[in-house]
Amino acid sequence: MPLTARGREILGSLPGVAPAVTTDGIGCEIVRREELCIGCGRCVKVCPSAAIAESSRFDPAQLYDAPAGTTRGALGAALRRIARHEPDGTFEVPERVRTFRTIEFDRTRCLGCGACTRACPTGAVTARPVNAGEIGGFAVSADLSWAVPA
Amino acid sequence: MPSAAPSTGGAVAELEESAAEPAADDGERTIIGFFCRECAYAAADATGNARVPLPATVRSVLVPCTGRVGPLHVMSALAEGADGVFLAGCLEGQCHHREGNLSAIERIAFVQRLLGSVGVEPERVQMFTMSAADSPRFVAATKAMHATISALPRLERR
Repeated sequence: MPLTARGREILGSLPGVAPAVTTDGIGCEIVRREELCIGCGRCVKVCPSAAIAESSRFDPAQLYDAPAGTTRGALGAALRRIARHEPDGTFEVPERVRTFRTIEFDRTRCLGCGACTRACPTGAVTARPVNAGEIGGFAVSADLSWAVPA
Repeated sequence: MPSAAPSTGGAVAELEESAAEPAADDGERTIIGFFCRECAYAAADATGNARVPLPATVRSVLVPCTGRVGPLHVMSALAEGADGVFLAGCLEGQCHHREGNLSAIERIAFVQRLLGSVGVEPERVQMFTMSAADSPRFVAATKAMHATISALPRLERR
């Protein structure tokens, strides 16, 4: 999603951002911790650029990584006790078992707006500032920590 | 268990009978049944009032609606000692809480796939539906579950 002329103008007026290299995605980098995700889909609903989607495939190995004290973690512990071998691949989740769907994040469509970090109830989605050279092709020289949502 | 509660004398006789039976080579199975209050539990009650004998492997848990039973309830039962788990709820479209039984059916399907993915027999977990008056169907479901689990080895735990 390319920026409008006005958008470039605004970004160019900020200290440390060279107008020639401003592009989409500037703001913050979204960091997802899949083991904390409970599949509620709130980030999917608020994403303005449809970078996040729900997938009906579920990977049972995710349960093993979930922290203790959560439903997924408890499920993983129970599964580990009776498992005969490691989980072999993903499977299709029935329609009504929505919370066990997998959230897929398409980084290339992310605008870095941080809406998902505010929507996430478990802290699975956080943002960190983009600093110089951290994202391929983005020549950002300044500390952009101001762009990280509170 | 209300479904297998005849007179005291009968219960004692039954206990002595089961104690006298030689234990199966790898031990007695345990099956947990989650019964919905509106239909399955009423059917279980009718079965008990009619003094129909039921497999003693089944332990019943009363729930308001099978829609309350989630994957974690079922998985915890298996992890903590059950060899099989089944849910008994209302007939499709006749749930007293609108669609709880439909949710339960899909959650059971989810748990079955979860078990299948780690090499545990999916048929250890099943869902049955019945009306409150359908005591024969409850008996059939309980016996079918007992037969399925008895045919499987005991569930090993780590």
